[in-house]
Amino acid sequence: MSVPRGAVHAKWIVGKVIGTKMQKTAKVRVTRLVLDPYLLKFFNKRKTYFAHDPLQQCMVGDIVLLKALPERRSKHVKHELAEIVFKVGNVIDPITGKPCAGTRFLENLSDSENLTEADTTYLSEKLQELKVCSTEK
Amino acid sequence: MPMKGRFPIRRTLQYLSQGDVIFKSSVKVMTVNYNTAGELSEGARKFVFFNIPQIQYKNPWVQIMLFRNMTPSPFVRFYLDNGEQVLVDIEDKTHKEINEHIKKILGKSKEMLEKEERERKKLSHPATFGPKKYHLRECMCEIEGQVPCPAFVPLPKEMRGKYKAAMNKEE
Repeated sequence: MSVPRGAVHAKWIVGKVIGTKMQKTAKVRVTRLVLDPYLLKFFNKRKTYFAHDPLQQCMVGDIVLLKALPERRSKHVKHELAEIVFKVGNVIDPITGKPCAGTRFLENLSDSENLTEADTTYLSEKLQELKVCSTEK
Repeated sequence: MPMKGRFPIRRTLQYLSQGDVIFKSSVKVMTVNYNTAGELSEGARKFVFFNIPQIQYKNPWVQIMLFRNMTPSPFVRFYLDNGEQVLVDIEDKTHKEINEHIKKILGKSKEMLEKEERERKKLSHPATFGPKKYHLRECMCEIEGQVPCPAFVPLPKEMRGKYKAAMNKEE
């Protein structure tokens, strides 16, 4: 009776990284919806897992996908990092493929075409001031 | 005294068991990204509010995670056992459409559910008696038309072992 993968029940889990102070290991918090038997409402129940992260590429706040290892790596580490789903501060919308933050896309911010006339005059004035300062010296 | 909350019917066992999306065994994680404001996310919000409890009740081993206001477009993502990911765009769809779509792509079909039901029925024989956990009935006395339970109605003299033994002894 050999289990090909997972000496552990959870084969694939998604969680948020809460700690990276260990070398090559990420502490991941996984929330599952559990039904309260009296209120009949679902609440988030947290559990922390340790995941092996050989390249130490996780930051605190990333949403990661963990895969169960075929056998335990150490006493607590039974999963490894499969993929970083959302990198904190650098979320990419999977449908359009563009970087975004909250409910806005970040791509359009550095477009010089979208600048109004007031913006361009203000910027050119600033440039003039800078030129004067450099010649004064 | 009415129930507390906005739509407390969501918190009844009857409503929860009416969920018809039962995922195939390869689905492990379901992730829903939606926004708390905006017309396009309205269907997604209703889906999370009404249908997610039903789905989680029917699939207790699938991890469901909800993310709010992370991306401008709402979507649902499934992580399957073979490493595959299924991305479903739910922008501008009603919650019923989303539910139907998910049922169609990753839900067990009616034939499969009926087959499983039949398999389960095969394991237990309906004509045996025993503990409630494994059998339908515990004793013959429960059936109408059979001898009632002697705990409630004393047996007639002729059926009692005491009387039968006495009659045998006399002979």
